[in-house]
Amino acid sequence: MPSFWKDRKNAIVIGAVVFAHFVLISVQVPLGSERTLFERAVFAVFAPIQRAAAGAASALSGSWKGYFRLRGVQAENQRLLKELFFARQENFFLRERLRFVQGEAKIRENLAAIGKTFVAARVVGMDASDPFRSLVINRGTADGVRANMAVCDRNGNLVGRVVQPVSLREAKVQLITDAEAGVSVVSGTARIVGVLAGAAGGECRLRYVMNTTPGGQEGEELITTGFDRLFPPGIRAGRIISVLTDASLFKTIRVAPFFRFNDLDQVAVITERFEELF
Amino acid sequence: MRGILKDILEAAAATLAAFLLYSLAGRAYPPLLLVFNAFSLVVILFAVWKGEVFGAVLGTACGLLQDSFSLGVFGIAGLSKTLLGVAAGFISRKMQVGPPLRGFVFVFVCSAGELAVWIFLYALVFSRKLGSGNALILFQPLATAALGSALFALARRLKAPRS
Repeated sequence: MPSFWKDRKNAIVIGAVVFAHFVLISVQVPLGSERTLFERAVFAVFAPIQRAAAGAASALSGSWKGYFRLRGVQAENQRLLKELFFARQENFFLRERLRFVQGEAKIRENLAAIGKTFVAARVVGMDASDPFRSLVINRGTADGVRANMAVCDRNGNLVGRVVQPVSLREAKVQLITDAEAGVSVVSGTARIVGVLAGAAGGECRLRYVMNTTPGGQEGEELITTGFDRLFPPGIRAGRIISVLTDASLFKTIRVAPFFRFNDLDQVAVITERFEELF
Repeated sequence: MRGILKDILEAAAATLAAFLLYSLAGRAYPPLLLVFNAFSLVVILFAVWKGEVFGAVLGTACGLLQDSFSLGVFGIAGLSKTLLGVAAGFISRKMQVGPPLRGFVFVFVCSAGELAVWIFLYALVFSRKLGSGNALILFQPLATAALGSALFALARRLKAPRS
């Protein structure tokens, strides 16, 4: 027996590792979008390291800039940027609420609650296999962030939604540019309703729009409808860049998302439940 | 025993370095993550230095780490990097990969093979092809080979005075 082990040790170890992978992949089939405990554990252990690295890089970059600039001006700039960020978000929600909520009393009631509808978060990492699929933010369950909460960029444009795993201080966000994502949207002018899903390379497609459906022009804006019960209605999602009609049942509509990948350092997580928002 | 512990610590430090590099590259310019895979590089280097079993186990660790920071099925990168570790260790035992050009070709072939396995598993699990918009990923073997051969040369230089 020992000689059998000695002769085939390498093959047994490699075989066991490969077999373990097949088991690991197979185990996830019945889980669907749920994450395994193992994956959540790995994420929980390494996400703080990523957060620390991102924080260190930001700090290093900040101190480098601060060294060359006037400290007072930089601090003022930071404060104004922060205020602008919240002001934009607030402005966005105010406009959207005014559109959807009827009655002055109701408006006042909503305005009172508006300050606690979102949490500002910093992006600490991108998807390790495809940066257009997901990102990691530095807010988790301790900050009130839960799975399925919508995420917007600093201008109030839709970025995606929080997905599992969500650890104490970090969370993963599925981008709308991921092919597995799906957002119910409506076009601004022709009122075409469809499902916005990701396509490769940071673009999106507006799916399930019948060839016979009239309208749909380049440049038309798409906003969320709220029909999916995940994303609040009225959030700007993207702009149509081309519409192709061929022999197939549905139109091929290419969409450019409003958020920009290189400008995703800060995002806002809408922390209130969909039902509570509208 | 002490030698094994040293190997494990070295591999853990290299994995951590790759993870930090991935974190910073993603923050600096997200498409960089498509062009260059630091985890693959670590797996190839250690598979050459320590053998295919070590490469397989390290490939598992690095791949699963990559999977945990990615959406999709947990284990796809793990499996492709495990096979990468085995292949890199096995090939390097059969042929000399020291010379720069040979090292470059070796890393390129290993990295291209890993990418092919990953794309195959991706297509198998998600039932769709990788979109043409992600074409940058096809440069991954080239970038990994350039960096890998440079690291091999650097390691040779660092070791040279001792021998």
